[in-house]
Amino acid sequence: MPETVFAPWNDPAEKPLIQFRNVTKRFGSFTAIDDLSIDIFEKEFFALLGPSGCGKTTMMRMLAGFETPTSGTIMLDGQDISPIPPNKRSVNMMFQSYALFPHLTVYDNIAFGLKRDKLPKDQIDARVKEMLRLVQIEKFGQRKPEQISGGQRQRVALARSLAKAPKLLLLDEPLSALDKKLRQDTQFELMDIQEKTGTTFVVVTHDQEEAMTVASRVAVMDHGRLKQVDTPDRIYEAPNSTYVADFIGDVNIIAGHATTQGETVSIAWADGQPPIIGTPSKPMDDGKVSFAIRPEKVAISAEKPTDRNNMVQGKVLDIAYLGNLSTYHVQLPSGIVIKAQTANSRRRASRPFTWEDEVWLSWTDTAGIVLES
Amino acid sequence: MDRHRRHRVGKLMNLRRFSLIAVPYVWLLGLFLVPFLIVFKISLSDIALSIPPYTPTLELSEGWAGFRDFLSQLDFENFEFLATDDLYWKSYLSSVQIALISTLICLAIGFPIAYGMANAPREWQPTLMLLVILPFWTSFLIRVYSLIGILSQEGMLNQFLMWIGLINAPLTILNTNIAVYIGIVYTYVPFMILPIYATLTKLDGSLLEAAEDLGCSRTEAFWRITVPLSKAGIIAGCFLVFIPALGEFVIPSLLGGSETLMIGKVLYEEFFANRDWPVAGAVAVILLLILIIPIVLYQRNEQKMMDADT
Ligand SMILES: Nc1ncnc2c1ncn2[C@@H]1O[C@H](COP(=O)(O)OP(=O)(O)O)[C@@H](O)[C@H]1O
Ligand SMILES: [Mg+2]
Repeated sequence: MPETVFAPWNDPAEKPLIQFRNVTKRFGSFTAIDDLSIDIFEKEFFALLGPSGCGKTTMMRMLAGFETPTSGTIMLDGQDISPIPPNKRSVNMMFQSYALFPHLTVYDNIAFGLKRDKLPKDQIDARVKEMLRLVQIEKFGQRKPEQISGGQRQRVALARSLAKAPKLLLLDEPLSALDKKLRQDTQFELMDIQEKTGTTFVVVTHDQEEAMTVASRVAVMDHGRLKQVDTPDRIYEAPNSTYVADFIGDVNIIAGHATTQGETVSIAWADGQPPIIGTPSKPMDDGKVSFAIRPEKVAISAEKPTDRNNMVQGKVLDIAYLGNLSTYHVQLPSGIVIKAQTANSRRRASRPFTWEDEVWLSWTDTAGIVLES
Repeated sequence: MDRHRRHRVGKLMNLRRFSLIAVPYVWLLGLFLVPFLIVFKISLSDIALSIPPYTPTLELSEGWAGFRDFLSQLDFENFEFLATDDLYWKSYLSSVQIALISTLICLAIGFPIAYGMANAPREWQPTLMLLVILPFWTSFLIRVYSLIGILSQEGMLNQFLMWIGLINAPLTILNTNIAVYIGIVYTYVPFMILPIYATLTKLDGSLLEAAEDLGCSRTEAFWRITVPLSKAGIIAGCFLVFIPALGEFVIPSLLGGSETLMIGKVLYEEFFANRDWPVAGAVAVILLLILIIPIVLYQRNEQKMMDADT
């Protein structure tokens, strides 16, 4: 029996937990969210990705109830949430600044929401202890927020927002204050917690790696609009625009003119270079295109490869050594620079190419993406 | 040689550090302890028809014997006198009561003003702040005198109240305790507003949102977050009003009536009307002892606030 993949967005029978329907938010004359529609499903780990100021926090704040849309509706569980005040929504938010109450202990911070629900004391106590255990800060329950480290504070904030077992948890750049190592560990912990609790997470980040690591789907935003909503691998391998391709990871983008040849297109792109053969994801008209190819899909060799349609010759201009990988910047006779990446499976001393070496770059017909531009 | 120099540098450093520490102590000694000792000495003396109006005075020319003689004449009679005449303890009590009630009224008025200021648009705040401190640009005495003009039988307040038809006959406000309360609250409310405003502007707005997010209504968030987090400012404001109000004498003597008992007024009368410096000294010493408790508490609160900031 094949394992069923988690992909409710592909199932038309599935009801979304959150629905943005043509939501626009303006601050004065400035449009922060521009006619945005999106469905987010239960148990999703949904990442909002985009440059600073593109409206990610504004979207979260509308979900939490701190901002109301200028037009359009937001539905939670099939119900319009605009008349519901923040304290009545089964949505909790982990704030970018953590917003821990400085006058309360870690324990009381986590118990804060539960006490508002007037739960019996022993039940609150049990739940707080469970949360402390979940985020592994049992020892710090009686400390004040100022007496614990940044990483521990972030855990307290997470525990506090999880304590009420909300239908939806909003995390606004939850890990931005952590250093890289701790951030990676915490990303996996977050995924673990999300799986254990079955809560729907919407996480804001401007770190594309983080979005790729944790999310079931990623929404790439720009200036209050959605550019693409897709699974991390699709966003990476099949971006629908040069903006998305450029935003996620490293990419070579080559402008050219396409002519359809059956299944493939032939792209004329520079004088004196053979055309690039690419495979578009859907049939397209002849005309101007952008050809996007990831550096790791470009092979680099000293000898002219024999098995590929696409190959160019150039000179090594620069080498970026990243430890596990090396990125070669290769300049073609026309002046265009193409990046090629190889894994460093051998020690650095035996690096095959060096500056000024003449090399061949090559890639297969399906390695790149043809984007109408 | 090197060691020698280091030694000298070390000595210099010690000297510098010593003088840094010494400055506040010299200040306290000169401006607080010495005057206090003089007043304390006067309070142990006896009244006399002389200049200055008390005996004994220290005659340094008579040497050690003179000093022993001087000490032997000092006693606690004046303090005993304060305990026997109920005017004094009643005045102390009434002062504490008036200061306490005034402090509470100042808090009730000052907190909402500070809250409104802290939540006003940023560009308005300097102006609002200016409005709060504007009265200090006029002499305190002039302001109290103008209060007489406002509160008297024919004053503006009565005229206004009669004009809008709220009352038919003028109210007697001047020369009652009510006028004293109005005067103290009017004078000291800025001291309540400013520290509370200072703590409220430091309050992180996302804390209130977090509280709402976790299920608090706006009002509940105010009581559970805003009030506890502005506690230090509230305490500071209360002491800044209570301490000077307790010893206040200008306001009760100008606005209060015969019923108004305040220790500042008693002190003034003993000193200037009765020219009984020793009894006045004793009254002042007791007043200071009463004030030391709130002053120490106030200092503790300030220290805590500073620790919290760093
Ligand atoms: N309350 C507000 N008033 C005016 N402009 C705002 C307000 N909140 C956000 N904005 C603007 O909306 C845009 C989007 O902000 P935000 O959602 O915080 O971006 P992000 O979280 O993606 O960095 C920004 O240009 C910001 O200046
Ligand atoms: Mg943001």
